[in-house]
Amino acid sequence: MFEWFWSILSYLGLYYKNAKILFLGLDNAGKTTLMHVLKDDRLAQHVPTQHATAEEVIVGKVRFRAFDLGGHEVARQIWRNYYTNVDAIVFMVDAVDRERFLEGKAELDRLLADEQLSDVPFLILGNKIDVPQAASEEELRTALGLHHLTTGKGDGFRGMGAGGGGGGGGKDIRPLELFMCSVVRRMGYGEGFRWLSSYL
Amino acid sequence: MSVDYSQLEEIDGTRWTWHYWPSSRLDASRCVVPFGCLFTPLRPLPNMPAALPYPPVVSRDGAVLNPYCSVDFRARMWVCPFTFQRNQLPPHYAEMPEGQVPPELVPEYTVVEYRLTDRPPAPPPAFVFVLDTTVPAAQLEVAKEYVLKALALLPPDAVVGLITFGQNVHVHEIGFVEAAKSYVLRGNKNYDAAAVQTLLGLGFAATAAASGKAVTAAAGRSLHGHASGGLGTFLQPVSECEFMLTSILESMGRDPWPVAADERPKRCTGVALAVAGALLECTYAGYGAHICLLVGGPATAGPGMIVGSKLEDELRSHTDIEKDNAPLLKKATKHYDELATRLVNAGHSVSVWGCALDQVGFYEMKACVDRTGGVFIMAESFTHPMFKRSLEKFFERDAEGGGGGGYLRRHFVATVEVDCSRELAITGMIGPCASLQRKSAAVSADTEVGIGGTSAWRICSLDPDTTLGVFFEVINPHGNPIPDGHYRYVQFRTTYQHSSGEYRLRVATCAGRWGDGNDLALLSAGFDQEASAVLMARLAVYRTENEEAFDILRWLDRLLIRLCARFGEYQRDRPETFRLGATLSLYPQFMFHLRRSNLLQVFNTSPDESAYFRSHLARVPVSDALLMVQPSLIQYTLEQPPTPVLLDVASVRPEAILLLDAFFFVVVFCGDTIAQWRKAGYHLQHEFRNLAELLQAPRRDAEHFIEHRFPYPRYIETDQHGSQARFLLAKLNPSATHTTGHVDVLSGGVAGGGNTEFLYTDDVSMEVFLEHLKRAAVAAT
Repeated sequence: MFEWFWSILSYLGLYYKNAKILFLGLDNAGKTTLMHVLKDDRLAQHVPTQHATAEEVIVGKVRFRAFDLGGHEVARQIWRNYYTNVDAIVFMVDAVDRERFLEGKAELDRLLADEQLSDVPFLILGNKIDVPQAASEEELRTALGLHHLTTGKGDGFRGMGAGGGGGGGGKDIRPLELFMCSVVRRMGYGEGFRWLSSYL
Repeated sequence: MSVDYSQLEEIDGTRWTWHYWPSSRLDASRCVVPFGCLFTPLRPLPNMPAALPYPPVVSRDGAVLNPYCSVDFRARMWVCPFTFQRNQLPPHYAEMPEGQVPPELVPEYTVVEYRLTDRPPAPPPAFVFVLDTTVPAAQLEVAKEYVLKALALLPPDAVVGLITFGQNVHVHEIGFVEAAKSYVLRGNKNYDAAAVQTLLGLGFAATAAASGKAVTAAAGRSLHGHASGGLGTFLQPVSECEFMLTSILESMGRDPWPVAADERPKRCTGVALAVAGALLECTYAGYGAHICLLVGGPATAGPGMIVGSKLEDELRSHTDIEKDNAPLLKKATKHYDELATRLVNAGHSVSVWGCALDQVGFYEMKACVDRTGGVFIMAESFTHPMFKRSLEKFFERDAEGGGGGGYLRRHFVATVEVDCSRELAITGMIGPCASLQRKSAAVSADTEVGIGGTSAWRICSLDPDTTLGVFFEVINPHGNPIPDGHYRYVQFRTTYQHSSGEYRLRVATCAGRWGDGNDLALLSAGFDQEASAVLMARLAVYRTENEEAFDILRWLDRLLIRLCARFGEYQRDRPETFRLGATLSLYPQFMFHLRRSNLLQVFNTSPDESAYFRSHLARVPVSDALLMVQPSLIQYTLEQPPTPVLLDVASVRPEAILLLDAFFFVVVFCGDTIAQWRKAGYHLQHEFRNLAELLQAPRRDAEHFIEHRFPYPRYIETDQHGSQARFLLAKLNPSATHTTGHVDVLSGGVAGGGNTEFLYTDDVSMEVFLEHLKRAAVAAT
């Protein structure tokens, strides 16, 4: 009954779930570009992010307070200042820049090992698949060592409804999945955010 | 052809937007771009005579004798060009031999400086270092090292003090060599001058300073007599306290208060600044003093805090500020605004060296810096060259003066008075200054631009580059023609405390022509598009204080359309016939880039970054400001000598190196082909010496830009398609994008092999912008 009521409100744009998310990843992965597309539906060329910025973006039924943090090596030192009360991590990877997959994996592993984030869902976006040389989902999954970590692209609610089967969204397992996307073509990340929303 | 206005700047330190002014108020209002100038009060001028050792001749209204005055030596009279009042010349002028004129009347010397030797010299300038001790130990070590470095750079007689802060404020006694001692003031309380005076036991010095005697006596370079007052205890000449300060700093550790894992350190920046201000207010009021705040994180405690100490409390973003979702903002801003007023009244300034990866609160503190002539320095850490080299530059000394090493380039407590012909009026200033609220006949009765309603401004601290934006309006009524041969005059009188302690007065008198308001060719011929773009940029940035960015962009567009409609040549409703004369042709480009710049756009920019960029725009000369608006781009190839190229994505070529100077950062960008050659090591082979030279040339030129730049810019070397290439790409006109037809996204560009670079952006290109502009201009009535 109430489910129905909230969904009408959300359909009318009157009710949103609130969530704090962080955009993390190496420099030049496309975090700021994605943020801008989500916020203003505008594609633009940005300078590398220096200070962290925060924007309110609405995707589906969720009003995200999204933090875009600088990705260059020095800036990564302050990522942990933003972990408190975080609802989800969006970790972006440049799928073209194979030379830096290892560096990306190291950062991702560090995040996954962080106790503060132990039960936080991770949406991993393999960006720039519009470029022909971009790694495939399989290649990126391997490069980032995700084979045993991802929890399936199924819907979180359905997963739990089915008693932890199917979607794999078991209670103690952190939801984590890789979606390939092209921010500049505005494709792929929508599915990722839909998947993420089901865990919020 | 067009005039090189930077040459005129060498004459009197001014760049005027218009050189011919319409003689009527109505015609002037149709010129769109305001009448005014960028004025650099202490710019070194090659033609200025040596400072005159005698007092200036001043009229009853305050105007100073200058080459544009008519002088009758026999009758010992001179006529003020502003009021046409007759004034008496001092007796010795009449006794001058025939044909000899004093320097201030020589036609070429429109700018002269007087040494005001009748005023007792000021005490040596004071610098109070306010050091954040909550930063990580490695950072603190470097910060301490650079405070000591500053002491070494200062002249030995400069007076210094040390305040450190974390959860509380520590004011260090540096007057006694026996034992280090400091007074602790609570970090959660606001202290005014009286409270600080009582707590630090400054009674004697404070009253003495108020009467102006003791401090003047201190000018005798001996502060020992006041050891019981604040001057001796907390402020000492470098030569006396260097040893003590060194030992205090060397033994100083981090703030001892524990910091929980989910918290930020408690940092009472606002209180530390207030205490520093109060200390100087008690001891140095009216004399040059500069507070140097070295801070490594946000204020989290006490008045002036910008964020709570819990990490779950988030730093405010531009969106938060827009949506009024920044609960601490108003209170913090009020704290710093009130402090700024006290600082201005005492003649003191604040510079903030914010060295952190995140925001430290520039946005809230900006009044303390911008109104007092201080500077913001932003660096990611104390170990970064942007901090280190900027600090060295800040304490630089000139070649003049004795004592080995010259005088500081930075001078103090300046008052800039402006006077003008009665057909015009002063509407205001935009720059690192504060109003002295002095009304004169020259002040506009009803228009205020920037800081207006006054004819005198205070700049608490200034260097030879400090530049003011000065605005005027024509008030001569329509139908009141100005006789031929009449000029308009403006006089700038800058009284300041030279870093040597001597008071000086620099008088710059500018004469300009009137023109027929309908003679558009004449008006256009005298249009300085660079100065105009910069003055408009200052105006637009000033408006960001109170207006939405969107409205400011619309306003800039409207003015640009009106300017083009008035001064362009075209047939109505035929955009293809539109053209602009040479003197205006670059102006629309400047506006295009200004609209896109992070002076006005705030996405991907923190409030602190905005405050930082805007603060510098409002104090630098035209040439530097222009780089902020529209960076310069130079191309280096094997075939050609270095050539300036368009700030356009079409300038990116695989076989070229580009050098971008965007003032705050300088980029050397290596095209693909050259980057591949370099990676293959060709430049190390003897037969490819020309490649080695090609790789070196832009670096050398970049080094040259950087060397003279303050603040020290970020320097980036990058290859095409590298992560850091975005510093360049973001500044380029997107003439080719992922949507433009002639680029095949799938095979060209990023894919390699293709020669055409393009940008992923929905931003409009300059061509589209100019097309719209033409259409709007020819349609406007």
